[in-house]
Amino acid sequence: MKKVIFAAMAVAGALAAAPTKADEPIFGYIYTTDLLPKGKTEVEQWATLRDARSQGIFHLLQTRTEVSYGASDNFQLSGYINLAHTRVSGNVPDGSTAPPEVFADYNVPSEGSWSRNRFESASVEAIYRFASPYTSPLGAAVYLEPSVGPRTRELETRLILQKNFLDDRLVFAFNTTIGQEKRYLHGDPDADPDTIDYRDHWDKETDVNFGFAGSYRFASNWSVAAELQNEREWAGFNPFKAENRTNVAWYAGPTLHYAGQHFFATFTTLFQLHGAKDYANPSDESFVVHGISNADDFEKYRYRLKLGYYF
Amino acid sequence: MSRRSTALAAFTALAALTGGVHATEYLTPAQAQAQMFPSQALTQDFRQLTPEQIAAIRKASGESPLSPELKAWRAQDGGWFIIDEVVGKHEFITYAVSLDASGAVRDVEILDYREAYGQQVSDARWRSQFVGKRAGESLKLGTDIQNISGATLSSKHVTDGVRRLLATYATVLAAR
Repeated sequence: MKKVIFAAMAVAGALAAAPTKADEPIFGYIYTTDLLPKGKTEVEQWATLRDARSQGIFHLLQTRTEVSYGASDNFQLSGYINLAHTRVSGNVPDGSTAPPEVFADYNVPSEGSWSRNRFESASVEAIYRFASPYTSPLGAAVYLEPSVGPRTRELETRLILQKNFLDDRLVFAFNTTIGQEKRYLHGDPDADPDTIDYRDHWDKETDVNFGFAGSYRFASNWSVAAELQNEREWAGFNPFKAENRTNVAWYAGPTLHYAGQHFFATFTTLFQLHGAKDYANPSDESFVVHGISNADDFEKYRYRLKLGYYF
Repeated sequence: MSRRSTALAAFTALAALTGGVHATEYLTPAQAQAQMFPSQALTQDFRQLTPEQIAAIRKASGESPLSPELKAWRAQDGGWFIIDEVVGKHEFITYAVSLDASGAVRDVEILDYREAYGQQVSDARWRSQFVGKRAGESLKLGTDIQNISGATLSSKHVTDGVRRLLATYATVLAAR
């Protein structure tokens, strides 16, 4: 234990002695149009704990290890590795056990506790900014992120808008995200043999998220923010077919951000708000309990910590 | 302690551990004074801006002073030396402006810069664009002052700051 404390103190001392510096991200979930300048590199480590359902035990820890590079002043490229750990038990409204979405390709006993680690996916991210909030009335950028995992393929596109006030200390950002994903699922022997669910198959889903956030830099290096996220899911790849809707959920919560000259840390807590919808199941089998969605990609609380270092 | 409280405490401790800010100090105020007004004695003439003066500066420049205290020194030849701050990405950028006796910009110098990026605002060639500018003239980034790609926020705020100081000169110092 003494060695651990000594090592922690040594790392802390080294960090404190180094020239401490400053940069993004000011939000946990919402993106801004701020990018790395040309030729600059940054490493980022995320840890997201998605925790608690209306019943049972539900823990999902997702990590992201990311390297970003400013290809130009308006174009940033990133690559990252996503890992996940889960522990679930009796987390479905009917009392059974089911895995979170990122483990949906596993056969999980419907009773008792289940736990697993996995390599989730590798992703590439490209962000192009076509209007800077510092020189244009509205900052705007587009984002593209393909991900490939052992049994998952995903393409996420995002529109980012940003408006600054008060000498750029007050920042508002709006994101629209469309994520289309495929997961290879095992056949369900209890399903109707005439349906696709009976056989092993690639399950398709579309996620559409709307995010809005505001941040205020209340002191040098420190900012506080609030984030609101509306998440909508559709079965299949067509988000314009109302009959394909499956879930809607709302999240909101505060964010605290610190940035030195080269180091930043961002911590967000999101709470699922009441008002979730389950369109996929009849009301007596609904995954919504007291307004909270318990579907496989939703939980009550989300805690996200981002740490980053700019070179 | 709850999980949320523990995480928040850890976050704060981590930030505190890394919170010692080390600025890049290009010039001290004394060095800037000596460089901008060589062999001239400067007389400190700090002012406390009144709400009416702040409103007039805001109206003339579009920018509000960050502080009601104006740190100005009067030179023997009638010029002025002013130290001011503008908002950087995460810290304040401290800079100095010297004006000649007629109120035209003689020089702009960055004194302290505390950001990871955007140090290009200290480049002499970029700063030289301000020389000769006067209160009432157009002084905007992108049209009158060239933007520095990759340092947009810093170059915008320094430009806005100089425009505000020229309005401050016209409102407060030239009106004495």
